[in-house]
Amino acid sequence: MSVCADYRRALLSDPGGLKEELRIHGRECADCAAFAERAARFEARLASAMQLPAAAAGAGAGAGAGAGADAGAGAAGAAGVAAEVVPLRRSAAHGGVPPSTIRSRWFAVAATFAVAAATAGLLWIAVPRASLAGDVVSHMAGEPAAWRVTDAAVTPAELREVMLNTHMRLGSGVGVVSYASSCEFRGHRVPHLVVQDESGPVTVMVLVHESVKTPVDFDEQSYRGVILPVPGHGSIAVLTRNQAVDPAALGRIAARFESAVEWTS
Amino acid sequence: MRDPLAGNQKHARFQALCQSLRPDLLRFAIWLSRDRAVAEDVVQETLLRAWKAQDTLEDEKAAKPWFLTIIRREYARTFERKRLATVNLDDLVASEEPALAASDAEDLAELRRAIFELPEDYREPLVLQVLMGCTTAEIAAQLNLSTAAVLTRLFRARRQLRLLCGEDTNLDPDE
Repeated sequence: MSVCADYRRALLSDPGGLKEELRIHGRECADCAAFAERAARFEARLASAMQLPAAAAGAGAGAGAGAGADAGAGAAGAAGVAAEVVPLRRSAAHGGVPPSTIRSRWFAVAATFAVAAATAGLLWIAVPRASLAGDVVSHMAGEPAAWRVTDAAVTPAELREVMLNTHMRLGSGVGVVSYASSCEFRGHRVPHLVVQDESGPVTVMVLVHESVKTPVDFDEQSYRGVILPVPGHGSIAVLTRNQAVDPAALGRIAARFESAVEWTS
Repeated sequence: MRDPLAGNQKHARFQALCQSLRPDLLRFAIWLSRDRAVAEDVVQETLLRAWKAQDTLEDEKAAKPWFLTIIRREYARTFERKRLATVNLDDLVASEEPALAASDAEDLAELRRAIFELPEDYREPLVLQVLMGCTTAEIAAQLNLSTAAVLTRLFRARRQLRLLCGEDTNLDPDE
């Protein structure tokens, strides 16, 4: 019984970091497996709740920054810097702005223009657009629940719902899909899957709207991954938090996934 | 002689890094301060300080804890500068109306309210773990706590949330 308590306590404190013996217990104890399933559902809700969409709006500043960055031109890049540090919106509840804030804003504007003036002439050659890999990595931070090590697969119904309207079907060669979510990514709904590989959980995002010409390896913010081109169907991003996995192994996982996909259009 | 091109590329990379982290930093600040306007100010100051100190970030892989350290310090400074007003949760939830207008908002609004109600000692490690993807060790380092203390706070946070949200807690373990 104490193992059950340990297992459940671990699920409620660090669901992504279960020790091997506890994971084994979770597979063998029916009551704990049921508890884990409910806990996982709660965890998914918790992760969603944390993703305040208002933060994106709050990035009202950020929207400008993104636009500037996307333009890729020097002036726009500088505008991106400006937008990055100047808040554009305040809540109605804060009618009065503290003097310290006003002072810091002026400093922000001054610093911004100083930086912009110094770099605008050269920025056109540096591409400030957030990279596809960077956006994939950023997306990961919002869904830590996806990184659970588990043998429990999502139900066929859940997987079917996520794959709806994606014009693709997953064959049996994919392996255990332990997480499936239809996520918004760069303005499109994309399947975000986690496959349990022998090296640990591996995230796969099918990016039919994002094309790359050649495989793109990346290693950012503790995530290591590769984005593979899929001719005619955009690209597939595969990434892991296991730093021991080399790019070649990730490429093999991506290729295995791609070969298990059946495109329906 | 300093290579202006290399410096420029470095600035561009840092800018891209700021852009990629900014949404989550803002979310973190909102969860921490429970005040959107304060959060926006804190993030702004954080990015400014980070921009000025970017040379001290030697490894981009360490960017997340680096930014978290700055934003937590900046939040503490804000707290020192002015005594933050008591937050009325009803007003707070109402002010987050755009956030709650999403399709799944009804389900999540209750949970968000419950998160806001958590004591800061429990709320912060939970946000660091769930939103920022920090490991227990990283949270312990940020909060200057032992990993055991962090795990205890995370457990209490989830248990309290589950109670507040009407989850079945009969099978939850004791602490």
